[in-house]
Amino acid sequence: MLGGVLVAAVAVIAVAIAISASGGSSAPVKVHSAQAKNDYTAVATLLKGIPQTGTTLGNPKAPVTIDYYADLECPICRLFTLGIDGGGFPQLVANQIRAGKVKVVYKSFCTATCTNHGQSTFNLQQVAAYATGQQNLFWDYAELFYREQQVETSDYVNATFLKGLAEQIPNLDLTKWQTDRGDPALLNQVEGDEQSASNLGLGGTPTLIAIGAKGETLVNSGNFPTYSTIQQAISKVE
Amino acid sequence: MTATAGQAERTTTTTRRPGGLTIAIVVFAVIGLAIAGYTTYEHYNGFKTLLCLGGHHGQSSCEQVQSSEWSRLDGVPVSVLGLVGYFVLLVSLAFRGELTRALAFLVALIGFGFSAYLTYRELFTLKEICEWCVGSAVCMTILMVLTGIRFLRGDPQPV
Repeated sequence: MLGGVLVAAVAVIAVAIAISASGGSSAPVKVHSAQAKNDYTAVATLLKGIPQTGTTLGNPKAPVTIDYYADLECPICRLFTLGIDGGGFPQLVANQIRAGKVKVVYKSFCTATCTNHGQSTFNLQQVAAYATGQQNLFWDYAELFYREQQVETSDYVNATFLKGLAEQIPNLDLTKWQTDRGDPALLNQVEGDEQSASNLGLGGTPTLIAIGAKGETLVNSGNFPTYSTIQQAISKVE
Repeated sequence: MTATAGQAERTTTTTRRPGGLTIAIVVFAVIGLAIAGYTTYEHYNGFKTLLCLGGHHGQSSCEQVQSSEWSRLDGVPVSVLGLVGYFVLLVSLAFRGELTRALAFLVALIGFGFSAYLTYRELFTLKEICEWCVGSAVCMTILMVLTGIRFLRGDPQPV
């Protein structure tokens, strides 16, 4: 029976590793693949009808602003943005942002990317995302980036990956996007965001700050921002 | 001299007392169950109160590991799988027979193998270490040895 136990154990472990590996090392999504279409359909459904201006999502006159400091390669930002494991962003979009009560402003803060790849990769990816904001499609691009994010230690962010994401957005003018990527104002914006994060003494991403008529408050400090923590912060400042 | 009823009763009582091996399995399975229970709770609680020694860019290394691609198996958190594994090991002690001992050894072997794989991912893919995961891997390794001895040794025979 010992032999049977050993064979069964090896078989189960091999299957478990195969399943685990297939989920963890996926290749970049191909532009015209079914997965790419599914990803964009989900993004379009989430954002449909919500105004975008640059890196801002929501009614520009919303009484509450949430500054969202993030890194596109940060895996915790991915969980938060996609609503995995209790991440509160999709509910925030569906409720307060869609209702025009809150707007979210995305701000760059290099964390996971700088730990694994360095500032130049961070600038490359964040500027590529901000360039879609010139056509008011930043959130389409950021959402797609998080959906197709890979293991943070792998070198998947390159010109092909960034262009592939842009090509998945049907309304994006790719020629203008490529031109805008060279706009020094966008790099200045990324650097300005990082300076703000540094001035605020932020320690990580995602970090959310709610700003309203009653002042401002840190939504999360080192903790994972759930929908209930966001709601509490909004009620403090509105 | 004939054996008295009292002597026979004492003999029966002696064979039912759990041995050191069983106690050791209980201890490490309970520790593993506690670790898996805590990390499962934290997983579904958004890691709000997750204790961890290491970390960078504002997130603990445990949070990095437990929110990574490798923290789930086909969508199921690996901490939940650990919870089930330790529970099965504990329950198996309530039953006798070669098949039960073989099942316990099989579960511990699978737990050990998959823990070893996840530790490899921590060290070489994520380059982060989660103390809770290491603690669970150590428990599962010890349990693999203990359940292996129990399987090979067989059930205690009446004296």
